[in-house]
Amino acid sequence: MTEATAAIPAAVKVEAPPPELERQPLVLNQRPLGWITDHIAGVAEGKTPKWWWVAFGISAPTMVMCFVMIAYLISTGVGVWGLNHPVAWAWDITNFVFWIGIGHAGTLISAILFLLRQRWRTSINRAAEAMTIFAVMCAGIFPLIHVGRAWFAWWLLPIPTSNSLWPQFCSPLEWDVFAVSTYFTVSLLFWYMGLVPDLAVMRDRATNKLKQILYGLFALGWRASNRHWSNYEKAYLLLAGLSTPLVLSVHSIVSFDFAVSQLPGWHTTIFPPYFVAGAIFSGFGMVLTLLVPLRSVCNLQEIVTTRHVELMCKVVLATGSIVGYAYGMEFFIAWYGGNPYELDAFRFRAFGPYWWAYWIMITCNVISPQLFWFKKIRTNMVAVFIISIVVNIGMWFERFVIIATTLAREFMPANWGYFSPTMVDILTFVGTFGLFMTLFLLFMRFLPMIAICEVKGITPQADPHHPLGGAGKGGHH
Amino acid sequence: MKTIPPPCPEPESGPKYWRSLDQLADTPEFREWVEREFPSGASELTDPTTRRHFVKIMSASFLLAGLGLTGCRRPEERIMPHSKMPENQVHGVPQYFATAFPLRASATPLVVTSHDGRPTKIEGNDRHPDSNGATDQFAQASILNLYDPDRAISFRQGGHAKSREQALDMLTELAAKAAASQGQGLCFLLERSSSPTRERLQARLAQKLPQARWFVYEPVDFDIHRQAATLAFGQPVAPANKLDAAKVILSLDHDFIGAEEDSWLNVRRFAKGRKIHRPEDEMNRLYVVEALYSLTGANADHRLRVASGLVQAVAARLAMEVFKLTGKHAELANALAALAEPAKPWEKWIVEAAADLVKQGAGGLVMAGYRQPLAVHLLAHAMNSALGAVGRAVQLLPAPPPAGESLEKLAAELNAGKVDTLVIVGGNPAYNAPAAMEWPKLQAKAKAVIRLGYYEDETAEGCAWHLPMAHYLESWGDARTADGTLVPVQPLINPIFGGLTELEVLARIGGLAATRPYDLVRETFRELSGSAEENAWRKFLHDGFLAHSAAKPVAGQLQASAVASVLSEAKPVAAPGAQNLEVVFYRSYSTDDGRFNNNGWLQETPDPITKLTWDNAILLSPKTAQALNIGGLDEKAKGNKTEKGLFFNQVAALELNGRKLSGPVWIQPGMADFVVGLALGYGRTKTGRIGRLADGSPAGFNAYALKAGTEAHAQGARLTVLPGARRQLASTQEHGSMEGRPLIREANKEDFARTPTFARHMDLDSPAHTGHIANDAQGNPKPIYPRPQLNGMHQWGMVVDLTSCVGCTACMVACQSENNIPIVGKEQVAKGREMSWVRLDRYYAGTVEDPQIAYQPVFCLHCENAPCESVCPVNATVHDDEGLNLMTYNRCVGTRYCSNNCPYKVRRFNFFDYNRRPLDQLYRSPFSLNKDGQVEAVRWLKDPDKGTVPADQWDLLKLARNPDVTVRMRGVMEKCTYCLQRLEQAKIAKKVKARASGDVRLNERDGSVPKTACQQACPAEAITFGDIADPDSQVSKLKKLPHNYSLLGFLDTRPRTTYLARIRNPNPRMPDYDARRPHPQTLNEYISRHGSPLESHGAKGKKESVHPPKGAHQ
Repeated sequence: MTEATAAIPAAVKVEAPPPELERQPLVLNQRPLGWITDHIAGVAEGKTPKWWWVAFGISAPTMVMCFVMIAYLISTGVGVWGLNHPVAWAWDITNFVFWIGIGHAGTLISAILFLLRQRWRTSINRAAEAMTIFAVMCAGIFPLIHVGRAWFAWWLLPIPTSNSLWPQFCSPLEWDVFAVSTYFTVSLLFWYMGLVPDLAVMRDRATNKLKQILYGLFALGWRASNRHWSNYEKAYLLLAGLSTPLVLSVHSIVSFDFAVSQLPGWHTTIFPPYFVAGAIFSGFGMVLTLLVPLRSVCNLQEIVTTRHVELMCKVVLATGSIVGYAYGMEFFIAWYGGNPYELDAFRFRAFGPYWWAYWIMITCNVISPQLFWFKKIRTNMVAVFIISIVVNIGMWFERFVIIATTLAREFMPANWGYFSPTMVDILTFVGTFGLFMTLFLLFMRFLPMIAICEVKGITPQADPHHPLGGAGKGGHH
Repeated sequence: MKTIPPPCPEPESGPKYWRSLDQLADTPEFREWVEREFPSGASELTDPTTRRHFVKIMSASFLLAGLGLTGCRRPEERIMPHSKMPENQVHGVPQYFATAFPLRASATPLVVTSHDGRPTKIEGNDRHPDSNGATDQFAQASILNLYDPDRAISFRQGGHAKSREQALDMLTELAAKAAASQGQGLCFLLERSSSPTRERLQARLAQKLPQARWFVYEPVDFDIHRQAATLAFGQPVAPANKLDAAKVILSLDHDFIGAEEDSWLNVRRFAKGRKIHRPEDEMNRLYVVEALYSLTGANADHRLRVASGLVQAVAARLAMEVFKLTGKHAELANALAALAEPAKPWEKWIVEAAADLVKQGAGGLVMAGYRQPLAVHLLAHAMNSALGAVGRAVQLLPAPPPAGESLEKLAAELNAGKVDTLVIVGGNPAYNAPAAMEWPKLQAKAKAVIRLGYYEDETAEGCAWHLPMAHYLESWGDARTADGTLVPVQPLINPIFGGLTELEVLARIGGLAATRPYDLVRETFRELSGSAEENAWRKFLHDGFLAHSAAKPVAGQLQASAVASVLSEAKPVAAPGAQNLEVVFYRSYSTDDGRFNNNGWLQETPDPITKLTWDNAILLSPKTAQALNIGGLDEKAKGNKTEKGLFFNQVAALELNGRKLSGPVWIQPGMADFVVGLALGYGRTKTGRIGRLADGSPAGFNAYALKAGTEAHAQGARLTVLPGARRQLASTQEHGSMEGRPLIREANKEDFARTPTFARHMDLDSPAHTGHIANDAQGNPKPIYPRPQLNGMHQWGMVVDLTSCVGCTACMVACQSENNIPIVGKEQVAKGREMSWVRLDRYYAGTVEDPQIAYQPVFCLHCENAPCESVCPVNATVHDDEGLNLMTYNRCVGTRYCSNNCPYKVRRFNFFDYNRRPLDQLYRSPFSLNKDGQVEAVRWLKDPDKGTVPADQWDLLKLARNPDVTVRMRGVMEKCTYCLQRLEQAKIAKKVKARASGDVRLNERDGSVPKTACQQACPAEAITFGDIADPDSQVSKLKKLPHNYSLLGFLDTRPRTTYLARIRNPNPRMPDYDARRPHPQTLNEYISRHGSPLESHGAKGKKESVHPPKGAHQ
């Protein structure tokens, strides 16, 4: 570096920023591009580590349990869950909103942060997008199976029939069908498209025929030509543009499931932004939960650096504060609005039979992320990991509080009730974690979990003007 | 819907049309026709797996029996259709038959719907002179007993099945033996009955077998009314309370709305005197003195809670005051002073109530309940006599004493070893005889016990012979209703299991020539009507009663000396205490005395006071519980504490004179202190699949275990909590307080007079009043979605008068019967999954010690702007142009969003296949064995229609269904439809009638608007249904009343069912009347939260003209 700067005349020489203000590099230790490829692809190519087998050995049976529970549910009746009158939705929709919320971080990172030129996104976007897809799959299960006659769930699709039976387009559940399926489709495409250059890398590095064929098949003949790159970049930008409104729309529409109804506690206009903020909050929580341990077991600390973790913590802090504000605002409006039913609904939330759920939610979602004001905590991986889990617990409770406590006590006291989950409720939910983790473990074993080409793109040497930059100098691209 | 044509007398001469099967029976064509059973649809019916298989057999046997192909020579036992002639019988179109539901010494006149030979729905006979077509919950549910798979189905000797013929041979032998010994050693134990034929048979048998003894036992016996009146007036009479003629009614533990005989009749008369539509309308006033919180207490304007034993003191004090004010029966006053002593604490209450009674004079009415001793009854009669009410508000009907001695006498006979053959007809003494009697042991002392019973129950054990009894819908019989009118009990179906009737058994034992019940009943009819004509008989069967056969009231003069002598024997009763509790045994609102224990509809109909299902409990007042260190009261919820929405109540042991029982404690607000309430009719050790819970334990505990004799209450009980023991109870309502919300809107008569529109001022502002929502031309908020086009010919609507509604639950059972609503079992009710389409909300207001109760039946309100419709993603719930909120079961996928968005929560979801699974197999997966020992999945592949229900149950279950209403499968939402099937039937009938005239609109003038099942069953006529597009309809008129309001109207749901606010009529001079807050307690609670709708809204009342109240829409 000194060699290069010496050649510049003193007049145009810019003072180097003091070391404390210098941006931390996104890839530490000035690793060469080849090292990056080797390192990331190595996670998928190397021998399957023991911890993977252990994790898989836990998650796969859990996933099977989920399917057994679903089979029991569908064959026997929704009554195997703890639902009742008046609480006709509880863990089913709670889990749906919870998983959908988690699915928010991926697309936010890949689309919005891309458009905002947040270069740090490259280290985490692949894993986050995969997480999104798997989370939306887990989420999608619940609306499908929670209906009384799951074998007719396809009636929600707008399929023209000979007797002109269409779905009811006024229903927010119908909007959900479109919102979630669109979101899933676009997220999947976005993720896959981003994978194409890396699949080509995997193909080129393949050690046996089978891998070569399979990776080659999915790499769609990628040869990294300039034309390919040019088309790729354009498509990526377009998809990012398409996905951005989806990030906001999906959870807004999910929130309409509640906001459009007329129950005190559901019928509020604050829900769409509050749900979106909550979703990003929980999504980043889940990204942290996954990446913090992964970066150490897979030796990716140089690519997913402390700076990355810190930045994500800051997002968690910001969205957590928005969520906290929304909680407060709900109470304020309940009081200010002068509707006694509304006021009672919020009174019951905080001090009614589900007070414990409410205060768990407040502790986890409002208080715990405030710890991220402290750099010490943001950079302490154990603390971050714990808080990220707490955030997700809190966000699950938020959905539970909104759904179950509202339904349990609304207009007519004679009809008030209480929801308690059954083992089937619990095991189905736990089972979806099995599904999620199984898919994620398979993903990291077979696909590069960090976008190799994108990470390379943000290394200093990727800049053609960089002394180490330019084609041919930094290993294959 | 029922079009009742005038009876068609068939001329004896002139052309004869065939109208009975026998007339055609001899023709070979007809024989062939019968063999083919259903010529028109024979091919489709031959498939043994069709659901009509069983019906077919039933119908066939019915026809064959009538034809005499089984050996009879001539037809008898013919059923006269009530409205439609056989030649007009259309397959699938129901027929209606008049019959009666005999219960104890009375009967309810009925019209029963029959679908293709199987009775499906019971309704009251509104042509009967003393009926408005209403029934009580027991009559409604009695049809389910007919289809009870657990009923006795075979003749048994010592437990082994025998043929019917063998049993009849046995009876013939018995008859011969009895005739030889003149009935020596032969004892009959019967239930009470009003059947003239049984009376006649008893008399005949008494002649033929003079040594035979007759005994009658009823665990809940209303005969005391007759006994007391007979004693008081010195002639054989029974009192008939004309509540509609009374202005002030005082009940001395007389639960005439719920537990007394013929409550449906009392409710009708009581409600008649309480119809208040305008402030100037007259309204009766009800004072209730009672220990338990009864339905009558719930409807009281003033309620005094005292221990049952102290009712006597209150009665005495009241009588003293009445005698003093009226100056009559002064000679009795001396005897009363001592008796009245314990009533000191309630002096003012009693004095003012007496003053109010006396002020009304002949319009006053005092009634004593069956649980009270003779002295209280006599005091009531004396007071009525002093008031001049005898012959007016209380009439005396001739009532000869029934033949039969008491159970105690029979016990003595048995102990003395004097009983050779004991014939037990009905009843269940082994279960419900006083525990002190140890009946099972006594019964074994008879040399042989022959039992005719509906169930093989506790009494059936150890019987030499057990004969299955026919259901009343399978039997020929007769009965007398409360007013003495003769009514027929005619069968609608041949005995499904070949059971015998009481009349037949008696006739056979008597060795009479005629043993067929039909002949016996006809013979009685001939005697009573004095007419042997066929037409008279036919008219009797057609109308369902014998006109002008009602008993003529007689004049009566109080026999003061007789009263005085009984009073002189009465002892003052001390107040109970924590270590000397008073136990009150009461007739259960659900299982009666235990006879409906195996009836799922009744087991699942919540007790209207406690809201408990499938259980009874040890009821205690909050103060008693506190004194006994029993926790579990939730002051805020005004009820028992819940743990996560479930009741796990403490179990206590109750001891009374050495007899013990244990059961869960239920803290019942409003009960008298140191009183323990025990519902009879639970805890059966030998009952069917319904009477036992899923775990095999009986539903509830047996309260008879504490009884020493026939007393209905006793002092000296001690209660100890069993540490750690808990029992889960299933209540359909967990929260008892209305939380100051304007759900039931109540006011006192004065409030109503001052502000008749008070109910409309109690809602929140509707969205129409807010500035930010645009309004349409009518001033209603502009909808986002297009509203349903309500341009149908009719516009259906309903009004529920909360002043009239007494909370009797008849509507709930009627709806269950009409609409094929399944039962779900205790475990599911506890979870909140009961399926009843009608919810009867019961709220307490005021203190938990002495609260007021208010009832509100809530069903689908058919909102014009229905929140459920816009959220259904598959268009399964939609609106029709006549204003009905429809539910398309076929289209429903079961997202349950509609239920969530319904502010009234009236939608019910089938969490399991309740219709096709036994209650204890709801959670079974398809890979487990079902009750028939088959893997469920395999069964499903073979017969997807059947479900896990055992075959015997399934066959009967199918018969009980109303074929006009879809049986819903699991995963489907359901709710009240305004009895859509009845509307459609009525429309079709009207169209058929209209032909080319085009007059197809249903209207009330020609009676073509059908009644909904709940409306039809309601004895109080609190439910009015009709066409609100017709300005002359009753419902339109009611909707215009000032106190008509929409529930949660501010949500702009615009419900088609609206409520008339409840008006109470308290006496301002009573001590429990708070002059500072002279309103019903619910209104006080509302005012403390929202301000008064009566005063502060005076200004708002003017505003009304600018903004018409949206909550009171239509």
